[in-house]
Order: sequence, then C-alpha cells, then structure tokens
Amino acid sequence: MYGGDEVSAIVIDLGSHTCKAGYAGEDAPKAVFPSVVGSIDQMDVDEEAANNTEQSDSKGNNGDPNSNKGKGKRKLYVGSQSLGFRRDHMEVLSPFKDGVVADWDIVDSIWDHAFKECLLVDPKEHPMLLAEPSSNNQQQRERTTELMFEKYNVPALFLAKNAVLTSFATGRATSVVVDSGGGSITVAPVHDGYVLQKAVSSSPIGGEFLTDCLMKSLESKGIVIKPRYSFKRKEIQPGEFQTIDLDFPNTTESYKLYSQRVIAGDIKESVCRAPDTPYDERAYANIPMTSYELPDGQTIEIGADRFKIPDILFNPSLAQTIPGMENFAEVAPSVRGLPQMVMDSINRCDVDIRKELFGSILLAGGTASMQQLKERLEKDLLEESPQAARVKVLASGNATERRFSVWIGGSILASLGSFQQMWFSKSEYDEHGASYIQRKCP
Amino acid sequence: MEAVVIDAGSNLLKAGPAIPDQSPSMIIPTQMKRMVEDGSSADGSGFQDVTIDPVVRGFIKDWDAMEDLLHHVLYTGLGWEVGNEGQILFTDPLYTPKAVKEQLVQLLFETFNVSGFYASEQAVLSLYAVGRISGCTVDIGHGKIDVAPVLEGAVQHIASRRFEIGGFDLTKLLAQELSKSNPLVNLSFADAEKLKEQYSCCAEDEVAYERTQESYETEEHTLPDGQVIKIGRERYTVGEALFQPSILGLDTHGIVEQLVRTISTVSSENHRQLLENTVLCGGTTSLIGFEDRFQKEASLCSSSIRPSLVKPPEYMPENLTAYSAWVGGAILAKVVFPQNQHVTKADYDETGPSVVHRKCF
Repeated sequence: MYGGDEVSAIVIDLGSHTCKAGYAGEDAPKAVFPSVVGSIDQMDVDEEAANNTEQSDSKGNNGDPNSNKGKGKRKLYVGSQSLGFRRDHMEVLSPFKDGVVADWDIVDSIWDHAFKECLLVDPKEHPMLLAEPSSNNQQQRERTTELMFEKYNVPALFLAKNAVLTSFATGRATSVVVDSGGGSITVAPVHDGYVLQKAVSSSPIGGEFLTDCLMKSLESKGIVIKPRYSFKRKEIQPGEFQTIDLDFPNTTESYKLYSQRVIAGDIKESVCRAPDTPYDERAYANIPMTSYELPDGQTIEIGADRFKIPDILFNPSLAQTIPGMENFAEVAPSVRGLPQMVMDSINRCDVDIRKELFGSILLAGGTASMQQLKERLEKDLLEESPQAARVKVLASGNATERRFSVWIGGSILASLGSFQQMWFSKSEYDEHGASYIQRKCP
Repeated sequence: MEAVVIDAGSNLLKAGPAIPDQSPSMIIPTQMKRMVEDGSSADGSGFQDVTIDPVVRGFIKDWDAMEDLLHHVLYTGLGWEVGNEGQILFTDPLYTPKAVKEQLVQLLFETFNVSGFYASEQAVLSLYAVGRISGCTVDIGHGKIDVAPVLEGAVQHIASRRFEIGGFDLTKLLAQELSKSNPLVNLSFADAEKLKEQYSCCAEDEVAYERTQESYETEEHTLPDGQVIKIGRERYTVGEALFQPSILGLDTHGIVEQLVRTISTVSSENHRQLLENTVLCGGTTSLIGFEDRFQKEASLCSSSIRPSLVKPPEYMPENLTAYSAWVGGAILAKVVFPQNQHVTKADYDETGPSVVHRKCF
C-alpha cells in the first residue's frame, strides 16, 4: 500500500496528438508537446556517407555486419523545440497505429523528455497517474506497467480511463463523455465512475482528419501552404523585402507534411466554426470570406470551408466531396456522424440510466474547443432523442479547460485524499506482477 | 526595514534592499572558492582551492555553498542582524522544479529564520521593471536563455522555451577561437570572460558578418600576466552565435526565430500584444550592437507583426537590462510585503515548505 505523502504525483496524458504532463493539484499541465517524434535512422546517414567515400569497394559494405545490422539504431528528437528544427533525413513517427501503441521506444522517449527536460523531475520520487484510452486492452496496460516500474522505478502507478477523468473534472459520476481528440472521437458512457465497455464507440474522424481535409481543400483551390523552414525574407534594398524560397532536398516527405499540418491546424483552430444547420453547398456559396495570414506573409481567404470542415463531424460523407479525399469512401459506410454515435452509445446502455446520461453529455478534447460545436450537437440530439429525455450538453466555457479536461481530471483525482490508498505500489508489482494491474485499476 | 531582493544568477548574484529606481547595492559573482588546507605540506604551499558554482544554468544545485553565500550576503553585505531578520524576495528562472522551490523556502526559514518570503518568476519581474504586465521576455543570462510570453502577469508555461546556452558558452567559444588563432597564448576562462565583455560585438546583419570573416582589423590586448593576444574576427563570432547557433554546434534556430515561434504557440488574439512588447534582459544582451541586430532580424522575420523592443522608462538606472529581474523584484516587494500576501513564518510553521506553491505564483 502506498500512502501519499508530501511529494505530489505526476499526471501524464499521452494523447494521439499532444502529450500533456504536469504535477497533480495544478490547474493546467506544465508540459504540452506533440506526441510525435522526429527520427533519424543512423543507417541512412551512415549509408550515404559510405556511398560518398567508397565508390569502388562494394564488398566492404556488405561484408561488414555492423553497418547492416544497425537497423534499430536511430536518434529520436522529442518536443516542439527539437521537432521545429528541420534536419536532413528526419522522419516524423507516431507511436500509435490505429489508436493503440505500436512502438514502445517512442513512448519511452516521450516520457523521458517529459520528465527530464520539461518537468525536471526524477521519476523515482513521484507516483504516476497515467491516462489511458477508454478501450485499452490488457496487453497494453501490462506493457505500460512494466515500462514504468522497470525502467523508471516509479514508487506507485495508476492507470485511469480518459472518460472517467473527464467526468471527474466536471464533478459528475455518471455521464456520456465525447472525447474528440486528434486521432479519433470516442464516445464512452461512465456510470458511477466506471466505463460501460459494451457501449463505447469510436470513429477515426478526429482533429487530424479534419486538418487533412482542410489542407486538401485549400490545395484544390490553388493555395500552397509553405512550411516554415522553406522560405526566408531578404532585404534586397533598404526598406524593400522579398520572400525567397529555400530548397532543402534532404527533407523527408513526412516532415514536410508535419510542418504543413501544424500550420493548417492553426488555420482550423482560428477560423473554423460548426454550422448551425447541416452544410449545404448552395446555401454557403456566397458567405463572406475571412482572411488568415500564413507565416510567409501570404493572406488567404477562407469562405465555405469554414463551415464545411466542422460539418464533417456530423456528416462524414461530406469528406468525399473534397478533392483528394475520395479514398475515404472505403471507410465511409461504417463511420457515423457524432449525434448518431452518441445515440447509439446511450441506447446500448441500460434503460434506467439513459435519462441521466442524456442529461449530462460532456465534451472534451482539442476538437471540442471549436466554436458553436456544443450548440450544434445539442440541437441535433434534441431532434433524435426520445421525447421524454432532457438533453443537456456540457462543456466548460474555457477553451483551455476543454482541451486539457482529461489531464485536469487526473490532477484532481491524484490530489484527493481518499485516492491515496488506491495506488498500485512498487512492492505490489514486485509481489504480484504486471497482470495485477487489472485488479487494481479497473 | 526594507525587504531584501535577491536574484541569484549563474554568474552574478544581485542583492539589495527593495528600492526600485536604483541598481542593486550588491553585485557579486556567484562563483566561490573553497579553500582546503593541506595539512601535510610543511612549506605552506598546500592551499588547494576548488571553484564551486552553487547556481548552475539558473538553478541552485549546491545547497551548502548557497547557504554560505547567502550568509555572507545577508549578514555581511546587507547588514542584517542575527535575531532580527527581515523579509526576502527571491527570483526564480523558468521551469524551476517544485522540489527546488521547497528546498529554498526550507533553507531560508529554518537556517536563516527570515520573517517573510516571496518568490516570483524572473520573466514577470523583468516586465514589471519596464512598466508592463503583458509582453514577451527574452532573458539571455550566463547559463541559460529563457523566452517567456507573459499575459497579465501570468507566464504562459505551455508556450515558454528554455535553452541551455548563455554567456558561459559564448565565453567558451571565444576562448576556443582565440586559442586557434593565438596558439602560443595561455588563456584562462576568467581572462576570456573579460575579453568577451570588452571586445565582442554583433555584426549588423548576416551579410556584414560574412564580410568580417574575410577582412577584419586586428587589435592587440595585453593580458594581466603580460602575454599579448590578437583579437580579430573572433569578436564578431561571439555575437553571431546567438543569431546562428550552428556556430556553437547546436541545431536550433536563432534567437529571433525562436521568439516568433514561441509566440505563434499562444492563441492568435494575443500575438500583437506580445510581439510589440518584447523585453530583452540579461547580462549578455549588453553586447555592443545586439539590440540593433535584433531589431534588424526582427524586421526580416516572416510575420506581419514584427517584434519591437520596449524602451525602459527614463527614471530607471542606465544599465537596466542587466538587472531588470532584480529591479522588478524591488517593485513587486513594495506591493507584496505591505499587503501581507507573502509567506510568513507562521504560515511556514503551520503548513511546511509546500506552502510556497500556494502563495507564490
């Protein structure tokens, strides 16, 4: 049993888009950085160097076991500062594949960065509260537990589901949590602090998908988003400036895409609004344009896309009308809009609690901070829900709170006095093994 | 009795009573020498001294040394009497770990028995010194560079950045470059530091820098021990390193680019306010030509709103940029202590060191 003491716990929420980490008890995470890493494969660099110097002796390269075996050797760059700097051959990799962790080395480096460089703490001295997806499987949990205890030697650990933490953040024990994050949207009902697994549903339409749609839509209109590293301003005469394109031939496609996505994401966050009624091409054809200034000084006008992109959340088939996104059709039939997902989820729960669930639908996640999303969802749900149910969608007014609501819930949970006896301590891990996590953290 | 404001940097410790429109009364190097008497040697040449840096890269690392240093500063330098200690305001750099803050509070209350304590972040204080509550501070110190956007007195931690390069690395660079062009001269670190302060400057822009690398004037300088050293293009290299960190061997962007990127992380409605109220502070910013170069690079930066530097008010002392965190602390001390918003001895006795997180932000 680990009793909490003066040293405060650390709360980490590794999302598909950003990783949030900080101390429990605070009202916002101290460290927020992208949960992708830049990776330079040492073999690529060595090969190129070898090819440049040794043109004749090919036997030397093949015969040497070390240079070919070093496939796992790669240098990882974590954090927005390191990622922001363009390097030759740097690929951008995500630890997640289809929503589950596939590459544990990357997760390890992300945690390492959070502890050693952002928070400046020693993991040995702080209990850790990790947020996990609402439908995490046993193997992932055990792997997480092993990594935390074996590598970081944390004194105590707890794994909490995202939906439960969001509920905590708003002070409700029963609610339906709509977590619209970067990689996916998950709808999970929570009853008395436990997630009802059979009613959890998720869809791949997350913030990143919307960003991609926006990018393709802008491209089809002829607007090119130049990544920040690809241009420079030069003063040709005193007082006169000119933007010059820089060419870096060794930049990888994935890095270019990543840099463009960062800019497109910013456009999406500042300009897009959820429409009050379902999107209609003709109705929005004459809408006044809003201007946005790109980093290279170019000003672009965005009109109908402002409303079209957010409406994809409610009507996924809209994505097929965007040139460049036609391959979405394969996934499309099974993907439903947000209101349908919420209805489905609630209908899979027991009849008795449905009324309570309708009355507390919580919005969380980065995409939820879109303007007018709450009102539109409420309106759509009112139409679809049974007459007797009183539909109420709740979202905290502050955009920062919506973005970090999972983390905030974790911060609240880890600082409660009554929680201190629930930690999974190192001694229990040593005694029972990683599979005990299932019992300790339901 | 006036409250005391202490700004413990990696190179200099600034301390003095909280009188806002003056420079700190005590400015002493933080570096200390531990004298170890070597009892075995009979001819008296056995004094070995080891240099100790209690503050490394902005954070307090050696607590015993810090205790000795504070003892000297408070009792000898500022004239405190044992049994009649006053109130202290300390400045913290960005990203100070919670444990360090707690340890400092513990040290002050238990060893020094101060009557009141407050801690504040250097970024906010530098802004107070120029009369603003929102803006972006670029603090280029001896051990670190902090770029911190501040809105209404609150540091936006999520957007701030910290770099582990500073005046120390520039001095090392100068020493390296000089020893390459003057292979016979033996240069100590302290000498290199003085040379840096005396000779180094920033070229007007990149093109001018390229020109200095090709053709330069050489000056001759006589070191205290009599050796003569030639300084030519190295003086520009040092200033350039802040704008092109590849000279130091690091792959990061120059200081102006970092500033623009940091601000672009904050929500766009605040961009104008932050960029137009940029404050440069820290010892290294007093390099000749640094501010002009900064302005020039800022006008080249790829955004419609250009960073523009804030002019310090006229009633402030001349070299405000080097001590702005201290001066801001003096201003804050005049507000916090009389209004009893600080941590008192009673608070500390009741709650323990963690009270600092609740009361000081």
